[in-house]
Amino acid sequence: MRPGQVTAVHLARTTAAELSKLRTLPAVGLTAAATVVAGGTVAALAASSAVAGGASPTAAGVVTEVVRFVQAGMVLVGVLPVAHESAGTQLRTTFAAVPRRAVLVAAKTLAALVALVFTAAGTVCAMVGGAVVGSAMAATAPAWGVPGETEPRWAGPGAVVVSGEDLGRLAGAAVFLVLVGVLAHAVALLLRELVPALVTTLGLVLIVSPLLGSLTEHARWLPDRAAALLWAPADPVLGPADGALVATAWVLVVGASGGIRLLSSDAAG
Amino acid sequence: MTPRAGVRFRDLAAAELRKAVTLPAVRAAVLGTVAGSAGLAALNAVGARGALGAGAAGAGPVPSAFDIAYTAAPLGAAGAVVLGVVAMSSEYAASSADAGGGRQVTATLTAAPGRLGVLGAKALVVALVVATTAVLAIGACRAVATLVLGDAAAEAVGLREAVLRTAGAALYWTLTALIALAVTVLTRGGTLPLVLLVANGSLVSFSLLLSRVTPWAYWLPDLAGRRLYGGLTTVPGGPDAVTGAWVMTAWTAALLAVAGLVLARRDA
Amino acid sequence: MIQIDDLTKRRGPRTVLDRVSFTAEPGQVTAFLGPNGAGKSSTLRILLGLDRPDGGTARVAGVPYRRLRYPLRTVGSMLDGPGAHRSRTARDHLRWVARTHGIPVRRVDEVLAQVGLAEAARVRVGRLSLGTGQRLGLAAALLGEPEVLVLDEPVNGLDPDGIRWIRDLLRAHADAGGTVLLSSHLMGEVAGVADDLVVIADGRIVAAGPLDRVTAGYRSLEDAFFALTASREVAR
Repeated sequence: MRPGQVTAVHLARTTAAELSKLRTLPAVGLTAAATVVAGGTVAALAASSAVAGGASPTAAGVVTEVVRFVQAGMVLVGVLPVAHESAGTQLRTTFAAVPRRAVLVAAKTLAALVALVFTAAGTVCAMVGGAVVGSAMAATAPAWGVPGETEPRWAGPGAVVVSGEDLGRLAGAAVFLVLVGVLAHAVALLLRELVPALVTTLGLVLIVSPLLGSLTEHARWLPDRAAALLWAPADPVLGPADGALVATAWVLVVGASGGIRLLSSDAAG
Repeated sequence: MTPRAGVRFRDLAAAELRKAVTLPAVRAAVLGTVAGSAGLAALNAVGARGALGAGAAGAGPVPSAFDIAYTAAPLGAAGAVVLGVVAMSSEYAASSADAGGGRQVTATLTAAPGRLGVLGAKALVVALVVATTAVLAIGACRAVATLVLGDAAAEAVGLREAVLRTAGAALYWTLTALIALAVTVLTRGGTLPLVLLVANGSLVSFSLLLSRVTPWAYWLPDLAGRRLYGGLTTVPGGPDAVTGAWVMTAWTAALLAVAGLVLARRDA
Repeated sequence: MIQIDDLTKRRGPRTVLDRVSFTAEPGQVTAFLGPNGAGKSSTLRILLGLDRPDGGTARVAGVPYRRLRYPLRTVGSMLDGPGAHRSRTARDHLRWVARTHGIPVRRVDEVLAQVGLAEAARVRVGRLSLGTGQRLGLAAALLGEPEVLVLDEPVNGLDPDGIRWIRDLLRAHADAGGTVLLSSHLMGEVAGVADDLVVIADGRIVAAGPLDRVTAGYRSLEDAFFALTASREVAR
């Protein structure tokens, strides 16, 4: 075999090993499942409250309204593949089994990507389902705990219609979620440990980014806000594709620094 | 769990304080909160000065330095969550396996077998650290905002209101941290409470979403206490500031009581 | 003096300790032996008030550990390593432990020197080697100048120098009237230092008494250990 082929086989095997690690790490499966369930639940809540308020929301409208709620789950799924290695002595075993760290970083990233794509796709599907169920329930049942709201109202067929343009936005929401997760993975490569990586990414995505967004228009260059252009209304400077590119650039820069750190550092964390 | 189980509470609190200040995660959280808030306040103040400079007179009320300092409050709440969580999760983190493993909780509970005392001392220290961080952060924000704005903005917030609102934010952060501490006692690991509480403290808060479906959500601890911020980030509905503060305090006390009960009864 | 009476502990359907009773006398080094999973750690955790028994009592100096007013002044202990947070320095770890009992900082530096860690005092726990981590655990155990020492695998990872040092330390402690309970896997070490033996297998005490009486009829302590613990394996 030529050297390139050897590397390809090596990468494929390592990726398979990394995927097997993720599959057998209960935290990853639980987080992914919780994210999907949370997505369906928040979509149902948002849809039912919108219907109760007299609106007839579309599935895509509901999804784009609540997609930010599941970022935390994506961040955790993104952080775990790297961070779980540093929790004990597993990193040592990993390095012993795969001394070529560049291959290892690539394999880890591929494996994380697979987990993130499945989680994001499942979550967006659950959100659409939640939106449909939520609006149907609100249309036939009185709103909970609101005095006087006992008259059933019909939401109209709008809640279940998904147009071609809607499909684009739904796909955009899924890609947005994957990008948030990959960003978390890149931060984890850089910081290694679970808590610092988690706090940094959650702080950026959930706290700092919305705050900066309300303070300055330059906040559009932040990774999560750029990625959000995939489903959010158009920005005067960046289009959806530009947004995805900006977010990807962030991921590459952070991930590359993390990769270099992993390549050059000693195994003991 | 006899009351006479006797390491003195004062010594226990001093030990917990020492633990807290020598934990890098605590230092990073305090520093990050203060510096991050100040940075955001500076950014906000620069923006406000720009708007004033552009001669946008009559385009709304002039922002006060205090109001500008206040914009960073959500960051402080996240910092408080981190402080409350790591105070407890650090007990359960494995020491380096190279150094022989084990968890700090073994050392803690063999030194002080009275577990309610340990939790009480931890809660006291967390409250102290978070309240100090709050006063530092809001003070730093205020100073930065005043520095940037100079004479551009008249101070519309009086001293009494400023003190009240600072105290309100400090109380909200402290209670948030204590809730985080109590939840971490139950989970033993930091991951779950960090993710849930930081996410819920953000603008995409589950409680806030729930409040659109049922008004009962306003009685959840985070929404009940929201008015302690003094109006900037509040939503209509729910109890007023004082009632809300009591509701949030009651939640905190109840969660700490559950945590104490569980900690005292379960195997370390 | 350590008294364990009828200790029972269940985890789910499994009985990990089944009416375990033994004593460790002052002036003696008592070795607590058993295969992995036999119940050594469970016994020691209950003795130190970390876990609750489902039945029976574990007393040290006449009272359950949790009733001791200043536990570290009576019992020094080390279970599976130092139990210190890895991002703190060795000295900072000992300082907070000392603070719970109002032990002066001077004593922290004393024990650091005593266990040979003076050089590594400002090294973070996460960077310590197995042997130095073990020494840190011993330093914490000695901090309160206790009468009773409870040590789980204390020689684990120590170099020959460290092993001799701890052997002398335990011997001297017992000779001065103190009580020593140590668990170990290293039969050679145990044979060299123990006065009394307690052997546990499958959650039950299978032998207890002076070293020479327990090992009577066997060529070595190792042979005795295998014979005593194997019978239970077969019975299971």
